[in-house]
Amino acid sequence: MQNLFAFLRRFRVFIFFLFLQLVCLFIYVQFMNYPRSVYLSSANQISGSFHSFENTLTEQLHLQETNRKLQYENIQLRKRVFSDAYKVQRGQFTIDDTAFLQRYTYTPCVVVNSTLNKRDNYFTVDVGYQQGIKKGMGVITPNGILGVVFKSGKHFSLVKSVLSQDINTDVSIGNKGIHGILKWGGKHAKFGTITGVSNDLVVKKWSKVKTLGASGIFPKGIVIGSVYKIKRVENQALWDITIKYSEDYRSLQVAYIVNALFLKETQALERSIPLEPEL
Amino acid sequence: MNPILTHVFRFIVFSLAQTFILNKLDLGFGAQVFLLPLYLFLLPFETNVLVLMAIAFGLGISVDVLSNTMGLNASSLVFFAFLRPLVFNLFRPRDGYDSLKTPTIKDMGTSWFYAAFVSLLGAYLLWFFTLEFFRLSEILLILRNILSSLLITLVFVTIIQLFFLKRGV
Repeated sequence: MQNLFAFLRRFRVFIFFLFLQLVCLFIYVQFMNYPRSVYLSSANQISGSFHSFENTLTEQLHLQETNRKLQYENIQLRKRVFSDAYKVQRGQFTIDDTAFLQRYTYTPCVVVNSTLNKRDNYFTVDVGYQQGIKKGMGVITPNGILGVVFKSGKHFSLVKSVLSQDINTDVSIGNKGIHGILKWGGKHAKFGTITGVSNDLVVKKWSKVKTLGASGIFPKGIVIGSVYKIKRVENQALWDITIKYSEDYRSLQVAYIVNALFLKETQALERSIPLEPEL
Repeated sequence: MNPILTHVFRFIVFSLAQTFILNKLDLGFGAQVFLLPLYLFLLPFETNVLVLMAIAFGLGISVDVLSNTMGLNASSLVFFAFLRPLVFNLFRPRDGYDSLKTPTIKDMGTSWFYAAFVSLLGAYLLWFFTLEFFRLSEILLILRNILSSLLITLVFVTIIQLFFLKRGV
């Protein structure tokens, strides 16, 4: 017993160090793996309101830029409306509520906090489960996509952005619809990478990269960027494609959360695929 | 000002500056400015290690809560606090440390400050980025981040030392 106390006294600094490190690493690993600790993140009420206060101070500085983006988006939308109307006049489309069901609904939100220089970057937005936001919903921006809702508090939600290591969004390249998986190399907020494209397919520089919509959380065909650089992967029959995002995540102010209304149906169908082939 | 009040005041200013200003800067090349190690470094020489580590833990958690990096800052700051007495012993002047002096450039001299601070900050950054990336295959990215952050932090720390800290405070 005496020896034990002597030991503890002798190594008390190191034991205290180990104890604190264990506590820190426990919290760290918990947060990385399980979205449980809602209370200790910026989805929390207190620090969320802190950040939105900071945002009210700084958003004035971005007003011009935001206005310009909204204007641009309005132009795009107006174009789409007129072209649709034109087709209706030709009689090729008939607008009928029973023929066209709404597939996605959108919730507008404001980005109140974001990081850009971490390996996995999270964005905090100002809507939560009070507004019906759930984990796993897609988030799009005026010029691209932002990511997937990682965790939602009552008034704020945390979005795992496309500037993360394992975001793995399914995308298609060009008009021929070459499929690939979007990842992030961790170097710059302007560029992402696409993996899983076989190198016998022809990929042209500056061809558009769009969402594929196979996972069902994003609408199909949202332009997220263009091909910037194509490189061979050594010893593998794959391209290493670098894309330039069309959205500038460094000055992002607004986003829309996508609620896919048919997601349950498609997921239920896909769950019924048999694992073993039925004879 | 009362030295305890000074340190409490600094605690608040440093953690707010780190969360709301320095973490928002996008300097390129993975560079980030780390101000919190300077706070721990500037505590008095005779501070007990256990107290130092407890302060480091509190400081780290309060910044982590605000910036969504649970446990990351806390863990690296505790590591910094653990190493501080060891490194201070390594660079001990011949007559030991004068308890009236503070660990600043003005009191201890340029060469002492940079030798002690750079070795501690290097260890801190190594711990921080290794924990953040947690992947051996990204070792080059980790090294790049460590180097660029070390340089930009030293520039910041030098500016703070020259303009904001008065002798004996």
